[in-house]
Amino acid sequence: MALFSSRREGVPHLPLHVLLLGFTLFTLYPILWVVSLAFSGRQSLALSTLPESPTAMDRLRAVIPWPETWSLSNFTSVLTDQPFARWVLNSVIISTGTTVVGVFVACTAAYAFSRFKFPGQRAGLMAFLVSQMFPGTLMLIPLYIILVQWLGLGSSRLGLIIVYATTSIPFSVWMLKGYFDTIPKDLEEAALMEGASVSRIFWSIILPLAKPALSVTALFSFMTAWNEFILAATFMDQEAMYTAPVGLRFFVGGFSQQWGYFAAGAILVSVPVVVLFLFLQKYLVSGLTAGSVKG
Amino acid sequence: MSTNAPQQPAGDLGGPGPGVASGQSGDVLLTGANGGPASSLRRGRVLGGLALTLGLSLFLANGLLARAREERAVERAQRRAGVALLSLADVVQRAGGTGDGVRAAVKDWPLPAGASVRVIAFNGIRLEASTFPEDTGDKAAPRRLSRDEKPLYDRGQRLRAAVETNREEGGARKPEVESEARPSGGRLLSAPVEVDGTVVGAVEVATPPVPPVGRGGLAEALAAFLVPLGVCGGAGFLVRRQRVLAGVAAVLFVAGLGGYAVHSMRTLADELRGTQEAVGAELRERTTRAQALLAAHGLRTEPPLTPAAWDADSLRHPLGLLTDAGQPVEAMLATRVAQVRDEASRALGLLGVLGLALLLYVGLGGLHRTAATLKEHRQAYAYILPALVGMLLLVFFPFGYGIALSFTDANLYNTHQPLSELWVGLRNYVEILGDFQIARRAADGSLVFNYLNFYYTLFFTVVWTVTNVAIGVTVGLVLALALNVPNLRLRPVYRVVLILPWAMPNYITALIWKGMFHQQFGVVNQVIRMFGGQGVSWFDSPTTSFLTALATNGWLSFPFMMVVSLGALQSIPAEIYEAARVDGANRWQQFTAITLPALRPALVPAVILSVVWTFNMFNIIFLVTGGDPGNSTEILVTQAFKFAFQRYRYGYAAAYATIIFGILLLYSLVQNRVSRATEAA
Repeated sequence: MALFSSRREGVPHLPLHVLLLGFTLFTLYPILWVVSLAFSGRQSLALSTLPESPTAMDRLRAVIPWPETWSLSNFTSVLTDQPFARWVLNSVIISTGTTVVGVFVACTAAYAFSRFKFPGQRAGLMAFLVSQMFPGTLMLIPLYIILVQWLGLGSSRLGLIIVYATTSIPFSVWMLKGYFDTIPKDLEEAALMEGASVSRIFWSIILPLAKPALSVTALFSFMTAWNEFILAATFMDQEAMYTAPVGLRFFVGGFSQQWGYFAAGAILVSVPVVVLFLFLQKYLVSGLTAGSVKG
Repeated sequence: MSTNAPQQPAGDLGGPGPGVASGQSGDVLLTGANGGPASSLRRGRVLGGLALTLGLSLFLANGLLARAREERAVERAQRRAGVALLSLADVVQRAGGTGDGVRAAVKDWPLPAGASVRVIAFNGIRLEASTFPEDTGDKAAPRRLSRDEKPLYDRGQRLRAAVETNREEGGARKPEVESEARPSGGRLLSAPVEVDGTVVGAVEVATPPVPPVGRGGLAEALAAFLVPLGVCGGAGFLVRRQRVLAGVAAVLFVAGLGGYAVHSMRTLADELRGTQEAVGAELRERTTRAQALLAAHGLRTEPPLTPAAWDADSLRHPLGLLTDAGQPVEAMLATRVAQVRDEASRALGLLGVLGLALLLYVGLGGLHRTAATLKEHRQAYAYILPALVGMLLLVFFPFGYGIALSFTDANLYNTHQPLSELWVGLRNYVEILGDFQIARRAADGSLVFNYLNFYYTLFFTVVWTVTNVAIGVTVGLVLALALNVPNLRLRPVYRVVLILPWAMPNYITALIWKGMFHQQFGVVNQVIRMFGGQGVSWFDSPTTSFLTALATNGWLSFPFMMVVSLGALQSIPAEIYEAARVDGANRWQQFTAITLPALRPALVPAVILSVVWTFNMFNIIFLVTGGDPGNSTEILVTQAFKFAFQRYRYGYAAAYATIIFGILLLYSLVQNRVSRATEAA
């Protein structure tokens, strides 16, 4: 058992592995539970149906996250019988729209904050930072009144795109500004000497150079919009306009108990973001801690 | 910078006398902002500013006046229609609700052109009498109502229900006169017919649309505009200093707008008086007609007619503005006039203050400087504009609006009214912060908490935050230390798996855990039963309910702390530990002297961040416990949400959210000071 032997003097590895394995199981259990519900082909919350007088084995069977029979029926029917495909489509449209609008607006602003000196520069940056502190609930009520009651944008994708895009601006601006600051100015100065205009420099020098930061920012905007629940639940009253999160809640919220649909839908919705997240998390950690140290 | 020095004394010009100055002024006007030498007196700015602000203000004031006159005209038409309706209802009641008397009254009832009346009797569902154009020929009254006229009958029944409800409750809650818009633009008013205490039918009057009121008052507005402008132009030749000239312009602005305000109020007062006279004349005419009818058809004359009661509101309460003889009641009229005057002067006062600020801004060169800055940095501003506009409209404006909302009584039904009409001052704050009824003794001596109390929720939120952050930091740190052991096998696997809870969307996590804590089928209870225990109904007591949320949030929050700590641990060079070992430090000494200090710069911001996240962790509480049982596990943000979207008290919820913002602001200020102090130390 080379695995559990300590290689050299120092900490013995065996207890560490026990600890880590314990936490790994704790971490994986809910995930496996939802996977086995999804593949069980049933709507029930229970992993297995207990007989009248269950034995210890039956009891054990009821807590092991492994479906009794494997079936894809929850996946097929959540996509065909239920309006879930439409909700995912809504989410895709809204998140894409948010990303395109939000990142475009943020990168022009971040460029100006990074490259120009102008009155109001510091104040603007600080205002963007402070706006991150506004609590969601304080914003929710006026946004609801403005968007739904004044502008009639309740249950509309456009309304949600506008709100998500603007709320994503401050984070994107800070992130992109940080990256633009690291691009040396020599390139632009050379281009200026050649007679290029500012917009040409921006489009054909800065943006191509900033591709990595742009894609990371875009992915974060996308993920935030994809995972957002409260605003969507408040603004989207009509079932046809639900986003995926609101739809998933619809399956198991209130008196409805369609756990099979929920589990299948949850897997379909979270796999892409989990993969994205694992790929992006190192940027997120550095960005968050850097931001809070500065702030 | 010549453009930045507009306040130099005029003496520098060296041109004494008005003649030379006038030449200069022309120069300035022509060459505009960039013109010429460091000229100090810029008459163009002041004149332009005055023209702009006074013009704008007068335009708006004129618009306000037009709207107010429109309102008066509508009110007049409504009151006249109301008098026609209630007076006819009175006569119909005296005629017993049906019969020839009613038809005679309807036939000759004086009405404005385009208006018509009808009487409906419930007994037999009949149209008793009508002057509506469609009720002629074979549809002429009296006849039975046809099927498609059911809404008429229903409306009558609604009025009867309203009258009966009001009588039972001994108050006036439901409108006893209905008024609805007609497709043609006029209105349809309906009133009940009461005979011997029961409602036996309804009278309806359809009025034609109110003709639009002309804008009017334009000549006065023009005068109020041109005279101050002319005076200011003249003063430009006498005054030498920019500030003095701006002051003169300000005085002229106030005079111009004030003059127009006086005119507006006089007009409105006249309109009000005119309305009383018009309605009074209507009242007199109807009284004569009614008396003639009563005499001709031998109808009941007891109790005597009280024409003043015909001029009533929708609850059939007399307005009290007119006497029975149709003469205005002066005291009431004066109150109305004062009320209208107050409203107008508040609006115009606000307009004046804003206009004055704009005038001084333009006149003293502020606009000019702003324009120059904008022009100089136009590229930068152009790049920022989209983001700025978006943020202003959808972040900063809603923020300000939310705070304004917190001083009002806004709810689901009145959000279309201006906030100034819903203003309640600090009442919401007093209600939230001044309520110390956290708990009371029940009959059996046990403590019963008031879960809607702010301080209870605050206490719960603090407990929630502290426990969660403590668990997150402990677990995260322990796991990071374990993963940081050199040459540990399977480290990348552990790391990826242990980070999964952070990667999962948290609303999904919340719903999964809610399912796992299900009383009957949930896995947690199955495990308890496996060991021979009884299943717990987790959401039936505040403590167990809190534990479910704590488990869920613990599950999803430790990876963040783990990743942060691991990053910091890995940045500690191994040589330091070697050196410590050489110096004979044991493991604990190494941990406290090397590891913890190295962790602090990464861990402190992470804890600060995590406190705010947990404090605001809406999804977990909302989706896992939902506040169950009975709002006992609500944190501040979910409580505010419920006040807004389940109890529809927008104003109260906004005040609640503002208090939350205040708490967070205080937290960040304290945290900033503390971290600065520790950095300095």
